[in-house]
Amino acid sequence: MLKRLTTALLLTAALTAPAYAQTMLIKDANVAMPSGVQSDTDVLIIDGRINDIATNITAPNGVEVINADGQWVTPGVIAPFSRLGLVDIGGEDATNDITAGSAPTSVSERAADSFNPRAVAIANTRRRGVTHALISPDASGDSIFSGTGSIIDLSGDFDSIKTEAAFVHVVLGETGARRAGGSRAAAMTQLRSAISDAKAYRTRYNAPTDGDALPRRDALALVPVVNGYMPLMVTANRAIDILNVIKLKKQYDLDIIILGAAEGWQVADQLAAANMKVIIDPHDNLPVSFEAVESRLDNVVLLDAAGVDYAIANISTLGVQKAAAITQHAGNAVGNGLSWDKAFKAISETPANWFGLDNSTLRVGSTANLVVWDGDPLLVTSAPTHMILDGEAQSLESRQTALRDRYFPLSDNTRPHKYR
Amino acid sequence: MKLLHLLTLSTALVLTACGDTDSKTADDNNAAETKPAFLSTYVPQPSKTTFIQNARIINGVSSDVSTGHLLLVDGKISAIGSDISAPDGATTIDAGGKFVTPGIIDIHSHLGNYPTPSVNAHGDGNEVTSPITSEVWAEHGVWPQDPGFDEALEGGVTTLHILPGSANLFGGRGVTLRNVASRTVQGMKLPDAPYTLKMACGENPKRVYANRGGPGSRMGNVAGYRKNWIKATEYKKKRDKGGDDFKRDLQLETLADVLDGKILIQMHCYRADEMVQILDIAKEFDYKITTFHHAIESYKIGDILAENDTCSAMWADWYGFKMEAYDTIRENIPFVHAAGACAMIHSDDEKGIQRLNQEVAKAWADGNRAGLNISKAEAWKWLSTNPAKALGILDETGTLETGKRADLVIWSDDPFSTYARPEQVYIDGAVMFDKAAGIKPKSDFKLGYGGTQ
Repeated sequence: MLKRLTTALLLTAALTAPAYAQTMLIKDANVAMPSGVQSDTDVLIIDGRINDIATNITAPNGVEVINADGQWVTPGVIAPFSRLGLVDIGGEDATNDITAGSAPTSVSERAADSFNPRAVAIANTRRRGVTHALISPDASGDSIFSGTGSIIDLSGDFDSIKTEAAFVHVVLGETGARRAGGSRAAAMTQLRSAISDAKAYRTRYNAPTDGDALPRRDALALVPVVNGYMPLMVTANRAIDILNVIKLKKQYDLDIIILGAAEGWQVADQLAAANMKVIIDPHDNLPVSFEAVESRLDNVVLLDAAGVDYAIANISTLGVQKAAAITQHAGNAVGNGLSWDKAFKAISETPANWFGLDNSTLRVGSTANLVVWDGDPLLVTSAPTHMILDGEAQSLESRQTALRDRYFPLSDNTRPHKYR
Repeated sequence: MKLLHLLTLSTALVLTACGDTDSKTADDNNAAETKPAFLSTYVPQPSKTTFIQNARIINGVSSDVSTGHLLLVDGKISAIGSDISAPDGATTIDAGGKFVTPGIIDIHSHLGNYPTPSVNAHGDGNEVTSPITSEVWAEHGVWPQDPGFDEALEGGVTTLHILPGSANLFGGRGVTLRNVASRTVQGMKLPDAPYTLKMACGENPKRVYANRGGPGSRMGNVAGYRKNWIKATEYKKKRDKGGDDFKRDLQLETLADVLDGKILIQMHCYRADEMVQILDIAKEFDYKITTFHHAIESYKIGDILAENDTCSAMWADWYGFKMEAYDTIRENIPFVHAAGACAMIHSDDEKGIQRLNQEVAKAWADGNRAGLNISKAEAWKWLSTNPAKALGILDETGTLETGKRADLVIWSDDPFSTYARPEQVYIDGAVMFDKAAGIKPKSDFKLGYGGTQ
């Protein structure tokens, strides 16, 4: 019994990050600096801060030294779109807070209120090198608005929400049309009316239901967006849908992030000229729908050539596991012609800059948010060996590693698996 | 490692043998002998005598990468090794040290029967009208113009198996296709490849039919399988006997063909305990489960699967979409392999099928990180050798061996690298995709549109 208890405690300890300010010297690594990857470089971290990045740093007394020997050090990966912590099991409604089809609310629903830092997907994703993520609910019912998205870190700690209300997500295109009643025109009308409700928020509402599109609480939640303080993330894939969003941005002076942009390459110049931010999935190459009928594999390369400001995500199918594969999606962008530096920036510095997240690049003096990898992080064969988040060492164990260790096929343990 | 080869070979023999044991009576005495329908009309594209030299060869049999040359004659692998040379008039391709592998085989695809664009009209992959639909055939729902076939080819897929969906206990027949441009599905069918029967365990059938007459529980699922195997056993007896009393029944015909060993069972099953119950039902009615698909928890019962000579087709990292998919580990494929059971990757996805080599690379790397020692050449079996075995076509394709169909891929880089891309894909010795030369099929649907070419 005592042994079982001890095992249980040890396991809990392993799954909960032992948080302490990290001091370590990483020797001879490929270090992903803002200026590019530097080989044979050392990184010294003292009390959670990057103290030095140079060649041949001498280890101060008593400091843990990691001989990286050609391994990689990068900033933590940021997933620019995910459902992390909003769902345990997609098919089990009781565990799934992604949508609220029966709720009368929309914009005012905050991902942060549903977020569970202890969801197993958090640790499973953390051990793939992801330190931060944007999370968002999804649109449901007859509203095109998903709600208000948040930014989290993947420490699994109870205080891991970095920004409670970071952006508002709205769905246009085929899904938006369906939600709004059946057409793109209806969706755009709902969106313009909602913007108008938020702009006229002070004068329009005598009763909670006085808005053209939004009840009072949802109009209030949209106010920071129409005032330009908060980005509006818009799902749109068809080229002409994207152009219509660009018009909207100009008309209302909004800060817009396009999510999807499968046909973005066709309007790359317009996206660049309008300073639009775009989140794309480099795996999108099939005509999965009529709004993505002109998708192509080198979309990201063409957007890059036109000077578009883009981040990379795994958008296509947002199961709980998908955020962990973001490095594969960035790696395939490289395989299709994007430079390594640009691909990595699109899953770290770029989304961080959009949302004012600090310490998303490796700089002397900054708090350490970094990952040590046993190989090139954009190869699927590589994995993190160490992670430091906000200066603290993170566990790379998860429920998956516990199952793995219990069922290791070459184990000589003959006791029933439940005792292992 | 040699021992492992022997195991693979012997299990392949068992599989083939199993197909022959009971069929004699059926073939000899079947008074209701029926005309074969929907026969393959596949004809390989014209090919040249081709000499691929200086390749790093993963042949799907050996656990080591070898360096050497391949000679393709009349669509077959005519010679392979380091001491062969190009015959007069052969087209010589200098691989320049690049990797050459067998063409990838995906044992679980819905290309064509859930094609893109995924509009309502294209939902032909599952006859969701009854838990027992063993009378339907996947090929009757396959649209050969699915643009996904062409992208899968660019990803190195040369053969693929299209299955009905998983709503039903007995879902219908699956079909093995060459990944070739054709106006008809008959023109894609691999001649004489065994049919398969899609069956499903667990959550899907009981969810779909709970309010439609059942099954509504795992108990109901098992009762449903057994009831129908009893019917099938009786039907088979009558069919074997023949005579005027025998009436043909499409639904039972498929099941009886399973009992005769002609049709291989491909069974959607996630949970370990459930798989073992299914193996018991197979023993009760004397048939074989060839492959468990999805098989999220196969790593928990690798030893039992090995004893039963049942394969597992798995994803590298999908989980969490339903309760029975909660216990995924990234080491599932290598752990099953290490237990001595037959393991393979599968896509079940029109995007995943384009980079199955990467999915295998994930599993391979994590398996070795966990403490196994599997070579890349050994892990390649999860991409072609084992799927070919589980589809009953290993004597034709799946490995690079003399006499087999010349289905192969020349890669730009180590295929375990995310940056690697197929440069050339050969099917029956013909170049079906050539990146540099711009050779690639294009679906009718794509005409007049921009986008991926």
